[in-house]
Amino acid sequence: MTVNANPNIPEEVRAVAADGTQLRYALMEMARDMDDVIALGRGDPDLDTPPHIVEAAKSAIRDGRVNPTPVKGMDELRKAIAERMRAVNGLPVAAENVMITTGGQEGLFLAIQALIDPGDEILVPDPRYSSYDDAIRRAGGTMVSVPTNREDSFNLEAEAVEAAITPASKALLIVTPSNPTAGIVTEDRLRAIADVCIRHNLIVIVDEIYGKIVFPPWRHFSIGSLPGMAERTITLDAFSKTYAMTGWRCGYAAAPVDVIEAMARVKQVTTGPVATVSQWAGLAAITGPQDCVADYLKIYTERRGALLDGLDRMGFAYGEPRGGLFVWADCSSTGIHATELSYLLLKEGRVLIFPGTAFGDAWREYLRITMLEPIETLKTAVARMLPVLERYRLPPPQND
Amino acid sequence: MQTPTTLSRPLAQRVAGLHDPRAPSATATALPASVIDAACAALDRGETHYTDRPGIPEFRAWVADHLRERYKIKIDPAEVTITCGSTEARFVCLTLLAPPASAVLCPGDSSPIRGALHLVGAKIVDAIQDDISLLYISPDVYRETSTELLRRAEETDWWIIYDLSLAKTDPPFHPARNPKLASRVVTINSLSASMPGWRLGWMAGSEMALRLRAGKQAITICTTAVSQWAGLEWVRTQL
Ligand SMILES: Cc1ncc(COP(=O)(O)O)c(C=O)c1O
Repeated sequence: MTVNANPNIPEEVRAVAADGTQLRYALMEMARDMDDVIALGRGDPDLDTPPHIVEAAKSAIRDGRVNPTPVKGMDELRKAIAERMRAVNGLPVAAENVMITTGGQEGLFLAIQALIDPGDEILVPDPRYSSYDDAIRRAGGTMVSVPTNREDSFNLEAEAVEAAITPASKALLIVTPSNPTAGIVTEDRLRAIADVCIRHNLIVIVDEIYGKIVFPPWRHFSIGSLPGMAERTITLDAFSKTYAMTGWRCGYAAAPVDVIEAMARVKQVTTGPVATVSQWAGLAAITGPQDCVADYLKIYTERRGALLDGLDRMGFAYGEPRGGLFVWADCSSTGIHATELSYLLLKEGRVLIFPGTAFGDAWREYLRITMLEPIETLKTAVARMLPVLERYRLPPPQND
Repeated sequence: MQTPTTLSRPLAQRVAGLHDPRAPSATATALPASVIDAACAALDRGETHYTDRPGIPEFRAWVADHLRERYKIKIDPAEVTITCGSTEARFVCLTLLAPPASAVLCPGDSSPIRGALHLVGAKIVDAIQDDISLLYISPDVYRETSTELLRRAEETDWWIIYDLSLAKTDPPFHPARNPKLASRVVTINSLSASMPGWRLGWMAGSEMALRLRAGKQAITICTTAVSQWAGLEWVRTQL
């Protein structure tokens, strides 16, 4: 079944079906023109930024503490982040190893500009956060896929990484917990992957933006804390997801000093410093009480339970969601191509969900569903999806 | 504790020619009370999420209206993208419109575009030659010079960036008034003079507008929500 041939899908969706990021935006635009859509698409926490963080920002605004900061960010904030990364993640970093970025997104862009020359290969586990494709492409880098699978809950294997290495390999990109799969790369695997990276002198760019949204007993582990890794690891993180702060555009990167200096030189001509008010908000987030992080995790845990119940009722399979804000569900039991299914669920069920193909060509039997609505809304979404699935579900193929 | 100083592999070659960042210079005068109130009110309303990727509709509509009223050019709000300062607008436009190894014609001060063009590997020239991909001008360029270059541009397929953000002058002139050029002109401006720490700018127009918007999204997704609401109040009351 090919997406392009399917007449059920309108032209504006078909036209961009091959570009994961654009496909997501096309579906979001369709949803915007419809009434009463439940949006389980974009990874934007519905929860509010905690009040003490908002108050800190308002104080800064009222006190006039809003002049531009250095491009690398406010010294106090860089220092606070370094302390946190040392204490919580075990990374051997000081303030000079840290810079503030315009969200996690810009951190990746700057790191790629600073590290990747045309022709360099960067290993990327499949499926992937496809919003990074453009940054890699623009630097002339080539993405090389490393397979992961549902049976392994999308954990990453050192052997698979090693098998993808060529003389042109320069870096490995890890997103853990993962968007879209909700898998995590476990500590034992990261130790083995670190060995491979040291042996092949690979750089690791690790995006830990969901690192504080991990469902026990699973634990987040930072590969940059392992011996021999500090000089080859760029760790990216942001306030966006942990503290429900996507609109502030404030993230950070930790890396060897020469990388931070290079990223800052790029940042100077890319966007300049991060908005000062957002840096004050970030400082309040990192130095203030952390109960909100645990409270939010509890909410996400409950939602995850409700969503998985619903998926069981739909006959969807999934790898265990171990962290992050998504469920990556195998919809092959419906017999419907994911792009078409997303479209039908939006048009007839008024539920916006992204197809797996937005995160890698091969994932035409997967959907990425967010947990970013209250539990009752998630249940309503499930109730809306079930009849659509019943209407279109294809009979299982006959084995004869 | 041994903190890392040097990466285990060489950095990308392109970063070698870039300059270290300047220390922040701009210090703004105090903001009007209504702007402070608008920023705080936006936060109280919970404007802490990603905004629409190209920016809040109110601000984009204002930019389109402003360009029409002040410069008599027609821009659809859908062709406007709010950016993290004019820096991001320049970066996105230059890196997407000037192919590597092409020449960018810059008759005035080229310091604002040097870094971005170094990163794409395009060169800056101050006279017409064969491989020009883009003309970068601001209102501060002598009018005779820009008039002549824009006349020559009519016979070419150059992109044109009209950068108002750093200009000391603001004549009502605009290159997109010429119908032969309009679809190739991107206008850049910002609030960096009055609200520098808020990182607010925009890019507007051209048949590449949607591609430029996607280019911005790949770098920063959207522009800081509270900055957009504060800036909207500023432009509505101060301009
Ligand atoms: C894996 C991953 N990295 C980075 C980002 C971008 O985060 P930010 O809003 O901090 O730029 C996202 C957002 O969805 C993400 O899922």
